[in-house]
Amino acid sequence: MRKKIAILLLLFFLSGLLGGCWSRSEIGEEAIILGTGVDLTEDGLIRLSVQIASPGAFSAGGDTSGGGKEPPAWVVWAEGETIEDAERYLAMKVPRRIYWDHSIILVIGERMAKRGTEMVSNFFLRTGEPRENMWLMVARGEARDILQAQPMLAKTSAQATGFLTRMKTGYIVQIWEYAEMRASKGVQPVVTGVEVQDFGEGRGPGQGENSTVQKKVELSGVAVLKVDKLIGWLDAHETRGLLWLKGEAKEGAVIVPSPGEPGKEVSIKIRRSHTKIVPEYDGENLWFNVNIYVEGDMVEQQSRVDLAKPEQIKALETAMSEEIKARTTATLEKAQTEYGLDIFGFGNAFHRKYRKEWREMQNHWDEEFSRAGVNIAVEAHVRGIGLLSMPAGSPEK
Amino acid sequence: MLEHGKIDGKQAIFLMLSVVLPTAILTIPAGIVRTARQDAWLSVMAATLAVLLIAWLVVSLSLRFPGKTLCEYAEEILGKTLGKIVCLLYIWLFFLYAGSGAVRQFSFFLVTAMMPETPIEVFSITVVAVAAYAVRNGLEVLCRFNQLFLPVTGLLAIVFFLSTIEMKPARLLPVFDAGLLPIVKGTVMPTMLMGEIVLLAMIIPYLNKPEEAQRIAILSALFNGFVLTASTLEALLIFGPDLAAHWIFPTFNAVRVISIANFLERLESVIVAFWVLGGFVKVGVFYYVAVLGSAQCLNLKDYRPLVLPVGVILVSFSSFMHGENIVDMIYYISQIQVPFMLIVFEVGIPLLLLIIALVRGKGGQSS
Amino acid sequence: MLEHGKIDSKQAILLMISMILPTAILIVPAITLKYAKQDAWLSLILATLVGLLIAWLVVSLSLRFPGKTIIEYTEEILGRVLGKIVGFLYIYTFMRIGSGVCREFGFFLVTAMMPETPMIVFIIIAIVISAYAVRNGLEVLCRFNQLFIPVTGLLVIAFLLSTTNMKLTRLLPVFDTGLLSIAQGAVSPIAWLGEILTLAMIIPYLTKPKEAYRVAVISVLLSGFILMINTMESLLIFGPDLANHWLYPTYNAVRVVSIANFLERLDAVILMVWILGGFIKIGVFYYAFVLGSAQWMGLKDYRPLVLPAGLIMGASSYFLFGINIVEYYSHLPYHLILPEVVIPLLLLIVALAKGKGKKSEDEAT
Repeated sequence: MRKKIAILLLLFFLSGLLGGCWSRSEIGEEAIILGTGVDLTEDGLIRLSVQIASPGAFSAGGDTSGGGKEPPAWVVWAEGETIEDAERYLAMKVPRRIYWDHSIILVIGERMAKRGTEMVSNFFLRTGEPRENMWLMVARGEARDILQAQPMLAKTSAQATGFLTRMKTGYIVQIWEYAEMRASKGVQPVVTGVEVQDFGEGRGPGQGENSTVQKKVELSGVAVLKVDKLIGWLDAHETRGLLWLKGEAKEGAVIVPSPGEPGKEVSIKIRRSHTKIVPEYDGENLWFNVNIYVEGDMVEQQSRVDLAKPEQIKALETAMSEEIKARTTATLEKAQTEYGLDIFGFGNAFHRKYRKEWREMQNHWDEEFSRAGVNIAVEAHVRGIGLLSMPAGSPEK
Repeated sequence: MLEHGKIDGKQAIFLMLSVVLPTAILTIPAGIVRTARQDAWLSVMAATLAVLLIAWLVVSLSLRFPGKTLCEYAEEILGKTLGKIVCLLYIWLFFLYAGSGAVRQFSFFLVTAMMPETPIEVFSITVVAVAAYAVRNGLEVLCRFNQLFLPVTGLLAIVFFLSTIEMKPARLLPVFDAGLLPIVKGTVMPTMLMGEIVLLAMIIPYLNKPEEAQRIAILSALFNGFVLTASTLEALLIFGPDLAAHWIFPTFNAVRVISIANFLERLESVIVAFWVLGGFVKVGVFYYVAVLGSAQCLNLKDYRPLVLPVGVILVSFSSFMHGENIVDMIYYISQIQVPFMLIVFEVGIPLLLLIIALVRGKGGQSS
Repeated sequence: MLEHGKIDSKQAILLMISMILPTAILIVPAITLKYAKQDAWLSLILATLVGLLIAWLVVSLSLRFPGKTIIEYTEEILGRVLGKIVGFLYIYTFMRIGSGVCREFGFFLVTAMMPETPMIVFIIIAIVISAYAVRNGLEVLCRFNQLFIPVTGLLVIAFLLSTTNMKLTRLLPVFDTGLLSIAQGAVSPIAWLGEILTLAMIIPYLTKPKEAYRVAVISVLLSGFILMINTMESLLIFGPDLANHWLYPTYNAVRVVSIANFLERLDAVILMVWILGGFIKIGVFYYAFVLGSAQWMGLKDYRPLVLPAGLIMGASSYFLFGINIVEYYSHLPYHLILPEVVIPLLLLIVALAKGKGKKSEDEAT
C-alpha cells in the first residue's frame, strides 16, 4: 500500500516535468502582438511593424492607480528582405518572445500593396502561429501609422480596428477569405481600406492639457487588387454597391426620397438580404441577372406624409429598389470600365453553371467580364415601421 | 365527448380575459383614439355594453343545447349540410383567421419593439409550438397555465397607478368634442375584439356548472371592458389625443415614459411579459377551439391527430394571410377583420341561429 | 493462442474507427481535394464503397479459417514457404503503416503546435505509451479506446459550429473535374479505409466471430462518413481553390470558427482527437506487428517482441519516409492497394480453388 502511494506521488510530481516543458514559454516572457503592419520602404526593403500590448495597461485598475502613465501598446518596427528577416531584426529590439497568436489585424501599406500582397500574406498563412481569421486591410498611406494611432473607446488602434470591422458596415476580409479570392480564378480580391484621421479640435473636456492631435482609425472603402497588386480604390459609396453585389450587405441603411414629398428622405434599416447571380451564356453573348432581395424596417422619416398605408409602403419599396439599383450599377460600371476586373465573383457563378465553357474562358475572364451585360433586379420589402404610425405631431389629415 | 376535462366558472372567466386582452391592450387604443380622439374611453364603454349583448346572445343560444358546442348545435338547428358549412366557416374564417392574426400581432410586436434582427417566423413558430403542447393536453391544462400567468396582469394595474403622475385629466376635455358619430365609429373595433368571447360557445359544454354561463360571460365582458378602458385612458391621459393616435402600440410607449425618481423606470418589460405570456394563452385558446371544432365537424373520436396540422396552418396563415408588413396587418385588422368578424361571426350567425332555433322550436328552453 | 483476451463487436467497431480516422481526418482531405476539388465528396463516397468491398473480402477470407489470423492461414492456403513470404509482407505492412503514423503524428505536432521540439520526442512518447498498451494485450487497448472515443463527438460539434462559415454553392459545379480526377481522389481514402485489413488479425479474438461482417461494414461506413464530414467542412469553408492549398485543411477549417467572438480557437479539439487517436492508431498497428511476428516465428508469447518492435517502428519512422514533410507526402501509401486488395483476393481465390478452409455460412451473400 505504502509503495503504491509512493509511486502515485512520484508519478504526480514527475508529471510536473512533462507537458510543454520543451517549448515552454511563460506569459511574462511573451510579447503579445495585437496588430501587424507591413510597409515597403523607399529602398525596397520590407518594414514589419508590430503593436505589442503592454500588460500593465490591461490589468484591472491600471487606469485609476497608475494614472494611465504606461501607454497601452508599444509600436516597434524593423526592416528586412523578407518578413521573417524583418522579424529577426525585430527580435533584437523586443526583449520578449514575439507571439503572433493574438494579432487582430494585418495592415498592408499602400506601397507594399502595389508591389504585391502575396509577398505578405504567405508568411502569415504558412506559419502556424498567426491566425487565419486575422482581419486583412490595406492602408491608404503607411501601415505603421495605423498601428500608431491612438483611438478612443479601445485601448489600442488594433483593437479599435477589430471592433470596427465586426460592425460589418464596410466590406471586411479575413486573411483566409483573401487567400480564397486570390486562389480562385472567378473573382479578383478586394480588401478593406483603412486610413488615419485627426480627431480634430476639442477632444472633450479634461483632455485639453495633452493637446497633441490625437489620431483615429477609419475604415475607408475598399482596395481593388489585380491578381495581388493594388490598382485602385472604391470609396464608401461604391463599397455599398460592392456589398450588394457580393450579397454581403447585411447591415446598414438605404436612404430613399420620401414618396409624396420630394426633397425629404426616408431611412430604411436593412434587416436581411441576399443576392443571387444567374449567368446566361449562349456561346457569344454573356450576361448576368443579378437578383437582390432585401428586407428592412423604416426607422426614420423626414417628410410629413402618412406613410402607414399599404400603397405608400409599396411606393417606398419601389424607391428602395431604385436606390439599390443605382448604387450597384455605379460600382459595376467602375469595375467593368475603369478596372476591368471581376471583383464580385461573377466568374465563380459562371463556373457553377457553365463548367465546360469556363475551362476555356477562365484564362481571359476579366475581359469577358468587362464585356458582359448585367441586369440588376431588386426585390425590396419594408416590414416594420418602428413604433410610430404617422410622423409624430403632424396635423390630422 | 372529445374533451374529458371540466373547468369551473372562475377558470372560464380568466380564460376569456386572456382571449381578449393581450392583443387588445396593445393594438386597439391607437385605432380608437384615431377615430374618437379624446372621447375614446366613451367608445370603449359603449363597446362594453354592446359586448354584453353579444355575450347574452351567445350564451342564450348555447344554453338551449346543453352539452353541445357551437359546431354541434349548428347542425341540429340547420340540418347536416348547412350546419357543417357554418361550422367550417367558423373554423377557417374565424378561429384560424383570428388565431393566426394573434400569432402575427404577437410576432410583429416582439420584432418591432424588442428584437428587430430576429426573423419574424421564429416568434410565430415558437408561440404556436408552445401553444400546441398546451392544446394537446386539453382544456384543463390551458386553463391552469392561464391561472398561473394571470396574476401578471396585476402588474399592469401597478404600472397604471405608477403612470398617474404623468397623466393630465385635462387631456380628456372637452367631452363630446367630435360629436356622436366618431364615438360610435370608435366603438366598432373594441366591440369586435371583445366580441371574441363568442368562443365561449365552444367551451360552455365543458363547464362544471353550465348554468353559470351567463354570469361568466357578463363578468368577462365587464372585466375586459374595464381593463381596456384603463389602457386607453392611460395612453390618452399621458400623450393626449393627438400623439396617442400616432403610436402603433401606445400602451407600450406610455409605460416607457414612466420614470419615478429616476429609479423606477423601464417598466416596458412588464408589458412584454404580459404580452408574451398572454399571447401564448390567446393563441392557445383559438388553436384549441379550431382543433376541437374540426374534430367535431369531421366526427373524429379524438382531436389530438389534428393538433400538428392545425398548428402548421396557423403558422402559414400568420405569414401569408395578414399582408407582408406591419402596415398591411393594421390595415387588414381595421378594414377586413373588424366589420367582417363582428357582423358575420359575432352577431350575424349567432342571431340567425337563435331565431331559427326559436322558430323551429329546437333545443330545450333556456334557463 | 497467443492472445487470451476477447473483445465484443462494439469494441471492435470502435477500435477499427480509431484505427482509421485519426490520421485520415487530417491528411486525406488535402490529398482528395487536390485531385477532385469540389467533387471530393464523390471521391469519398466511391472510396467508402470500395472500402466496403475490401471489408467484405477480408472478412470472407478470415471466416473460412476460424480462430486463425491472416499470418496463420496464409501458410495453410499457400503452403509453408510461400505462406511465410506473404506473412512477412503483411508484418512489414503493419510495421510500415505503424511507423508512418508515428511520423505523421510527429509532423503535425511539430508543424502546427511546437515547432521547436525535436520530432523524435513525440515519436518516442507515442511509441512508449502504445508499447505499454500492447504489452497488456488487446483488451486493454480496446478499453482505452472506449474511454477516448467520445472525444470524436467533439469533431461533430466543431463541424456544426463551423456551419456558420459554410456556403453550399462551393460544391458547384458537380463533376467539374471529370471521372478520372474523382477516381484519383478516391485512391488515398481507399488506402486508409482499406486499413480495415487489420481486422484479419483481430477476428479470432472476437467473442462472436460471426458478427465480423457487421463489424467491418459498420466501421467502414462510420469512418467514411466522418471522413466525408471533415472533407466537406474544409471544402464548404474554404472552397475548392483554397482548401487544397493547406497541408491540414481540417485543422485550418476549425481555426477559423469564431462564434460571437467568444467560441473560438477550437483547434484544441482537433489536437485532442489527434493525440488520443494517434496513440490508438499506433497501438493497433504495433499490436498487429508484434502479434503477427510472434505467430510468424512460432513463439509462445508475444511480449518479448514488444520492445524490439517498438525500436524498429521508431527507427523506420525516420528512415522509411524521407527526411522532410515534402518527401513524406511523396511516399503516400498507394502501394497499400497490394496488401489490402490484391493479395487477399488472390488468397481467397486460391483457397476456393484448393478447397481450403471450412465453408462459411455467409458465403451466399
